[in-house]
Amino acid sequence: MKILIIEDENELADSISEYLSEENYLCEFARTFNQALEKIESFNYDCILLDIMLPDGNGMKILEELKKQNKQDGVIIISAKNALDDKIKGLQIGADDYLTKPFHLSELAARIYSVIRRKQFGNSNTVRQNELEIDLLAKTISVHNQPVILTKKEFDLLLYFVGNKNRVISKSTLAEHLSGDFADMLDNHDFVYAHIKNLKKKLSEAGCESYLKTVYGTGYKWEG
Amino acid sequence: MNRLLNKSLKSFTIYALIVLAASVPAYLYLVDSIWLRELDEHNEIVADRTENELNKLQLSEIELNQSILLWNKIQPGTNLQKTTLEKNRKDSTYTVSRKNPYVTHQDIDRFRGLSRVIEINGEYYLLTVETNVEETEETVVAIAVLTFLFFLIMVVGFLILNKRLSVKLWQPFKNTLAKLKAFNLNSQSNISFEKSTILEFEELNVALNKLIEHTVSVYKSQKEFTENASHELQTPLAIIKNKLDILLQKEALTDRQYQIIEDINKALTRVSRINKNLLLLAKIENHQFDDSETINLSELTAECIEQLHEHFANKDLNLKSSIDEDCVVTGNKILIEILINNLLLNSIRHNIQKGTVEVRLSKSGFNISNSGSIALEKEQLFKRFKKTSDESSGSGLGLSIVEQICKRHQWTIAYEFHQETHTFKISF
Repeated sequence: MKILIIEDENELADSISEYLSEENYLCEFARTFNQALEKIESFNYDCILLDIMLPDGNGMKILEELKKQNKQDGVIIISAKNALDDKIKGLQIGADDYLTKPFHLSELAARIYSVIRRKQFGNSNTVRQNELEIDLLAKTISVHNQPVILTKKEFDLLLYFVGNKNRVISKSTLAEHLSGDFADMLDNHDFVYAHIKNLKKKLSEAGCESYLKTVYGTGYKWEG
Repeated sequence: MNRLLNKSLKSFTIYALIVLAASVPAYLYLVDSIWLRELDEHNEIVADRTENELNKLQLSEIELNQSILLWNKIQPGTNLQKTTLEKNRKDSTYTVSRKNPYVTHQDIDRFRGLSRVIEINGEYYLLTVETNVEETEETVVAIAVLTFLFFLIMVVGFLILNKRLSVKLWQPFKNTLAKLKAFNLNSQSNISFEKSTILEFEELNVALNKLIEHTVSVYKSQKEFTENASHELQTPLAIIKNKLDILLQKEALTDRQYQIIEDINKALTRVSRINKNLLLLAKIENHQFDDSETINLSELTAECIEQLHEHFANKDLNLKSSIDEDCVVTGNKILIEILINNLLLNSIRHNIQKGTVEVRLSKSGFNISNSGSIALEKEQLFKRFKKTSDESSGSGLGLSIVEQICKRHQWTIAYEFHQETHTFKISF
């Protein structure tokens, strides 16, 4: 899987690349607007991470260029701006997702995973891990071909783990993912534990192997 | 409050009164002395004529005596008497008041007299000529009445002029004042004052323009600073966050090390939130939100409550909500959602275990109350970074944002503490 990281901040680009490369993603970099234009013209990527605030141009133009060339690359905008206008505009022009800095790499990985799956597998978008089958489109799962009913949050969590296989994800990261903007305003993150407990229980009751491991007491890791 | 023109009017009126009052004795003195001089002249003419005519007649001594007798009897106001005074004695003038014998009522008349020694047929006679002159008191009264009349005319004139002037003269001032009153630092629109031909008003306008321009530019740069600073912080925050994520993946972390990373993460999330909230406040103040959407508040409130459902359950809170259907407001959906979420989250965070949260929405307002033990300080409540509870988490900006959003939508928010319950009331 080829990923293009269009980001002028080296440290950030490096971290993203380091996290993603362990996931068998091949990352390429573009530090400037012009570099980015060159790259998208010459190559195809599975996913492009696009910082819209580049020193020598607006990232939105790159997005427009991609659409003009009729490219099918998935695009996730990463922006320091939380401006709704940008978000709407970006999604309208054809971005697949929008992520505001600062974000967790696991969040980014989960989103990249979803975008790529959606782009490449279209109508039959199912992920299989041994006895576990996840239908990303219908948002349903089955174990040993038997459907297991998950709540929206549980499904969401499962997908997050699958998008971050073999990674340690802390409870606070999950809390942020689940509660969006106001994770830090909640006194405790016990609700994360409750959801995970339910998810684990449902999976094991259906006869699924316990891929979800607890690490360091409050961290989690999906093995696969 | 006194009007400026009324103040000057008062002074002018008092001054006019003093001047006019002082003019009364002056006029009196003037009129009286003119009177007396004219009468003296008149008396002299009479005396001259009398002397001349009597001498011209060339009467014998007996005839003369008889004539003088007759003269004294019928000629009013004059009198001839033989005298032993010298011929070259200086004329003397005098003023005398006498009772009028011809009227029944008490009437004192004033007379101006001249006594002169004249020579008739070689004999010396003392001739006194008296002419009635207006009494001082009567003159005083007449002048005073007239003066008072003029004073009245003056005051009435002042009042009318004042009224007209206050409208016309102060028009530029009133224009300026109206513009100042309508001026809102937040609206970011500059004031342009009308040109005035009056020096003072023009000076005022120029000074105000300068002041406002300066204020606006300071205000703008301050707001830009907040916005820029927040933006600039996003990237380093992102770097720290991402590096922590990578650190977490390293093998052979101890539980302690993991816990440290987790603690850093939590603090970082808080910093990010403060940063985001500062940015949000700056944006609300900069009017960067469209607020013309029509929002079904009933649905939105229900959605927000639903989203936080598990957090209510987590703390065993008893949620009572009464939401009237189809409460529609005009505003910005994102902001209103933030408003509701902030209030709901506060009601959870600052609640007691197994406490109560009550949400009420009607067409006129939105109320949210939760159990609590101590009243919060009303003055500090909506200020930035003023923590009113001893709880350490939270950005310290939640209620500032709530207040700003209310302001933006021209709603009012009030806080009450009653019977162990905190209540926030928003009136649309």
